[in-house]
Amino acid sequence: MPFQGQDYYSLLGVKRNASQEEIKRAYFEAAQKLHPDKNKAAGETELFLEAQQAYEMLSNPKRRAQYDATLPPEDKVYYPYTHRVVYSRPVVLRLEERQMLYVILEVETPMEARQAPSPPLNVCIVIDRSTSMRGEKMDVVKATAIQVLRNLRPQDILSVVTFSDRAEVIIPAAFHQERTKLEARIQMIQPSGGTEMFQGLDMGTTEVMRSIDSKRVNHIILLTDGHTYGDEQECLGLASKLADRGIGVSAMGIGKEWNDVFLDILANRTGGSSAYIAEPQDIKRLLLEKFNALAQTYAEDVILETQPLDGVELAYAFRLQPDPTPIIVDESTLRLGPVLQDTSTRILFEYIIQPKAVQSDISVFLDGTLKVSIASLPLPVPPMPMRLQRIVAPDTAEIESPPAEVVQALSRLMLYRMQEKARKDIEKGDINNATRQLQSLAANLLTQGERSLARTIMLEVENLQNKNTLSDEGSKKIKYGTRALFVAPPKKEIVS
Amino acid sequence: MIICSNCQHQNVSGAVFCAECGAQLDGVETLTTHNITDEEIADGLSERAPRPEPPSSPTNSWISLHLMDSGKILPLATRNEFTLGRLSEGQPIMPDIDLTPYQAYASGVSRLHAVVKRDSGRIFVMDLGSSNGTYLNGRRLNPHIEEDLKHGDVVALGKLKIQVLLRNI
Repeated sequence: MPFQGQDYYSLLGVKRNASQEEIKRAYFEAAQKLHPDKNKAAGETELFLEAQQAYEMLSNPKRRAQYDATLPPEDKVYYPYTHRVVYSRPVVLRLEERQMLYVILEVETPMEARQAPSPPLNVCIVIDRSTSMRGEKMDVVKATAIQVLRNLRPQDILSVVTFSDRAEVIIPAAFHQERTKLEARIQMIQPSGGTEMFQGLDMGTTEVMRSIDSKRVNHIILLTDGHTYGDEQECLGLASKLADRGIGVSAMGIGKEWNDVFLDILANRTGGSSAYIAEPQDIKRLLLEKFNALAQTYAEDVILETQPLDGVELAYAFRLQPDPTPIIVDESTLRLGPVLQDTSTRILFEYIIQPKAVQSDISVFLDGTLKVSIASLPLPVPPMPMRLQRIVAPDTAEIESPPAEVVQALSRLMLYRMQEKARKDIEKGDINNATRQLQSLAANLLTQGERSLARTIMLEVENLQNKNTLSDEGSKKIKYGTRALFVAPPKKEIVS
Repeated sequence: MIICSNCQHQNVSGAVFCAECGAQLDGVETLTTHNITDEEIADGLSERAPRPEPPSSPTNSWISLHLMDSGKILPLATRNEFTLGRLSEGQPIMPDIDLTPYQAYASGVSRLHAVVKRDSGRIFVMDLGSSNGTYLNGRRLNPHIEEDLKHGDVVALGKLKIQVLLRNI
């Protein structure tokens, strides 16, 4: 019988109402992963047999119906994580105009798993070795790559790829014993040539795919200091494929010349994030932090599958922690990113609700499925049906103020979005609006005690007036500076 | 629809912060400019009073600013932090307390001059990098460094002298 109170559905990782086709596909996946020829780990042969049993039971509609009758209700299913939902308002109002509702979703590692050994890594570092990397940047990158290599645990797999006009494997994906030899190979990286990012990402993908395994944290770290030209679409296409294979991408931009908008989209497609490295000496700290975070992974992926609902729009989503970053909302699959052992994952959603969605007694604004991949567990985690809804109250109802947690998060998000808006205004050529947004942003930062960021912004306002655009450096400082506020301890209580 | 009291922007119902200026719309505490009305300004203390008693005003202010040249007293409440300065045309950053009516320009007060704040029972003043400096009992303060305030201390923003009246805390 299935272990841990799991049923045959969760054993195969399908929903109770899964079609025969879905059940078949899930069984094939499980069988491939657990087949005794491939898997010698203790206990896994039993799991393979259980998956077979599950398939035999569920693939026959008659037996499946008999089995279904014996199951406890679906809300009793065990999920190996905890989750929590906080709403900005206890109800929605029956209004003639549109209204906004904020929701924070938190997914957390259960207590008992926080100290457990984390899954082994399968990571490729993809290094830009174009001419502009010459000097201190490349020296620090090399030194850090060597340190990463030395820090690896015996079970981790690391590969290193460099790219300029073409890509080259410096260290192939494998367990590494003779590290001194590999260190010498890293030392020999010579900067020269252009920045053709797709070449690097593609080869990085090949390396990660060599040992791809759902029991590992599969990840690509891209380090670059420049723009790639002409292959952006190819890169984004590849990122979507990586996301489907469960490979995350973190992008790190060094200095001021790289394209942060592009790298954000690239990383966000996989549930990853981009980081801004202002000075070469910060490369080491940020890259080692990234590796630490990867080694702290509990769930590699949290995916929210949504269905469109009439009159409800998910207007914005943002990951508050870890690695604050916007989340792409224009697809039905939202990639919310990983869950770390010691840090929960918190996402803030902004819903716009039209009058037609508040006509009945209950307004539903999310009807979807939460899918969490946890490498340390032998079997897929059952998908969790997820429904967000509020009771509709008359438009005269008194509404209490939002929970402090929501206000706190929004007070930071408001700052981040002001710079986003200013950037959009600049793109449209509306310099006056952009100026006003940035000035308000600076004023708000000052009242929150963020003086140096406020000063940067006022300098950029001058740039904007003189040149009708922001400086490369300033725009990055503002964007990543306002993101950093989410993780900084608040300098001033927002709500007393 | 919620209209922002700070910038009059029309926000969607349910919004928490103004989409235009970032002011908090809904909730216990607002982050908008504190408007001082004439009714709030209590008069009656002699401007030469060396150590006046803490004001027992009906407002729950934690600090009052006694403008020594005009004798006006501004009680401040509701927030833990106020920036002091003067408003000027086309200026992006507005001080919480506009000192224009008290000869701020002639006295050399910067647009964003200093901040007074309260934190875990202590009260501070900090110069915000003003042109003419902030003085505490005649001693010029280093910019961006917090200094403790006591009841009766005299803070000068440029030449504008303000005596600090603290509530017993």
